Amino acid sequence: MDAVAHIQAGQPTSTPWRYRLDEMAWRDLVEGLKHDSLPFVGLWCDGTDIHALFMPHDMQPLAATLALESGRYPALSPARPVSSFYERMIFDLYGAEAMWGTDVRPLVDHDVWQNSMPLAPVPGAAGDNKGMVAVQPSDAMQAASGTAMGSGPATGGYETPLHVAMVCEGETIRHAETVSGYAHRGMAQRWHKCRVDEANRLSGRYDAGCSAAHQAAFCQAVEHACGQQVGHEVSQLRLVVLELERVTQHLFTLATLARQAGARLVASRCMWLRESLLAKAAPVIGSRLMMDHSVPGGVNLRDTASMGTLCEQIADLAEEVYPPLVTLWQSYPGLSARLAGLAVVESTLLERVGLDGPVARAGGGECDYRRAMRAYEGLWHFNGGRHNGTLEDRAAILLDEVGESLRIIKALGPRLGLSAGGRIELTYEDGEGTGLAEGPWGAVLYWVRLKNGRVDQVFMRNPAYSALMAFEAVLPGQNVADIGLIRTSLGVSAAALDG
Amino acid sequence: MGLIRAVFDASFRQSTARRKPAGPRWPLMLFHVDTGGCGGCGMELEALATGPYDMQGAGFSFVSAPQGADVLLITGALTYTMAPVLEAAWKAMPTPKGLICVGNCAIDGGIFSENYSLMGGVSRKVHINLRIAGCPPTPKDILDGLCSLFAQHSKATGAAQAEAGVSSSSTTSS
Ligand code: SF4
Repeated sequence: MDAVAHIQAGQPTSTPWRYRLDEMAWRDLVEGLKHDSLPFVGLWCDGTDIHALFMPHDMQPLAATLALESGRYPALSPARPVSSFYERMIFDLYGAEAMWGTDVRPLVDHDVWQNSMPLAPVPGAAGDNKGMVAVQPSDAMQAASGTAMGSGPATGGYETPLHVAMVCEGETIRHAETVSGYAHRGMAQRWHKCRVDEANRLSGRYDAGCSAAHQAAFCQAVEHACGQQVGHEVSQLRLVVLELERVTQHLFTLATLARQAGARLVASRCMWLRESLLAKAAPVIGSRLMMDHSVPGGVNLRDTASMGTLCEQIADLAEEVYPPLVTLWQSYPGLSARLAGLAVVESTLLERVGLDGPVARAGGGECDYRRAMRAYEGLWHFNGGRHNGTLEDRAAILLDEVGESLRIIKALGPRLGLSAGGRIELTYEDGEGTGLAEGPWGAVLYWVRLKNGRVDQVFMRNPAYSALMAFEAVLPGQNVADIGLIRTSLGVSAAALDG
Repeated sequence: MGLIRAVFDASFRQSTARRKPAGPRWPLMLFHVDTGGCGGCGMELEALATGPYDMQGAGFSFVSAPQGADVLLITGALTYTMAPVLEAAWKAMPTPKGLICVGNCAIDGGIFSENYSLMGGVSRKVHINLRIAGCPPTPKDILDGLCSLFAQHSKATGAAQAEAGVSSSSTTSS
């Protein structure tokens, strides 16, 4: 029996795509997954049950649930390495232990919180540590020989707080591990029993730069839970915001990469194009970072009727400015040589860590959920591009995707007309739903459970854990001065990681 | 928490006639610490520093070590994990020094109120010299806020000007 059939042989629940397994069946599932390629989405706890979510086919969720008895459950990490992050988070928040987990170090609780296990039925005592977080090195790190070095969480830069502990030989990194949790805001607790509109606002502030993707996925999940679907006009308006977010976020990343690589002129051209686009878009959409424009049942834009015109204006600007930017990027003296061959993310690593998004596409992966989304029909095309997984390839893919998204925005313009979009009234019945958006760094998925007219639980998946695993894996052999460049190219965000 | 007592040198903003204080402390050097938010305020800081806003021309620059900073610029809602890091940065800065909060999170937690992991901003704990509200404030809001220290108005150009008024925010100094 394959893993899908194994899950579906479990006890059906009130949610048609979720099945309850007993502990033996869960153990068999873990064993089966070692020889099955079923795409894993994430693992979460709600205090009573453990839930594992899979995506057997594009956009088709399948979940397995296990009652959390005696505070322990068989880990999924022996079969899906990225699950270790979810398991560590579950332990930190609920105190539930993943038996045979591949990594049991704390993820976000470093003994400084007001309560340990804050979401457990009986939270633990406050942490004892009043000082800086100490690195807990793995056995591999302890065995590595060289000079211990560290970077972050406060570098004076603009990035979110993360510590990278390294062992170096000269300037070459031999081993690297990260310490996260500095940006942990307790999102799971904040979402619990929250008003739906407030929960949506929180989603928009999970990870800036991907706010539109988070809120589009959250809203879809709520609509799915209510058994409703927004109309074509609304979904097209959401696409404009999503694609504009991709364009502006990729330009932001490219500008940062160019600056970190010493190509200041290229950086300023990327930033200038981004600011020019935002100068046109923000007054129509209502914000620069695309926050709060998807709302359950519809959109919330400052001037919806002007969205079609905005698309035309963006297309005109893009036609004038984008081709010279590509030429500048490709021909700028030394830029290509600086990025070539750096921090290669190969397909085997991608597979191991389950990474998607542009980083995976630059390494040969064909993962892009837009391919399967009805709203993108006739808009999205497969974008070949370079795929050797180097930092240079990742930058090239981002630049290609800027062009591709600008093309999509241009194509969306005439479809929008002067429509105000329309909005469906949702009645928040008890239920569960999922929603998915292809964000700038990959798939953002929400699983929302509604109860008594409010949000009961939110489970969120983004590429952050996989990106962090890839980051740690590619650092050995790299120059210590390139940490920032490599981190930027992989989209490692502490806000996205820590929750 | 006994974390910070910010004493901002009055000479920086006493006299509106003397807009650019003479001496080695010009431009004003800012050391940024993200204390745990969504990262949006940090993105707008980066846009301000590297986009078409002429932040340096207005007299402000970021530094990569607190030892060279005049002002500690905080974004994010202050997690317990970041508090000792922030305190260490503050202690490492030479005097006189000041504290600026950018974004609602940094001021009073904003959307991220106090909970088990997070203090909910610094406003009830320390003296803040300048608050630049917004979620996030735009780069122009931030620049205007910074310039208000010297009673200047920013002269952001082109694209930067067009975004004025896009995001609601207010700026207050105390
Ligand atoms: S104030 Fe708003 S934009 Fe800034 S870090 Fe906080 S949540 Fe993000």
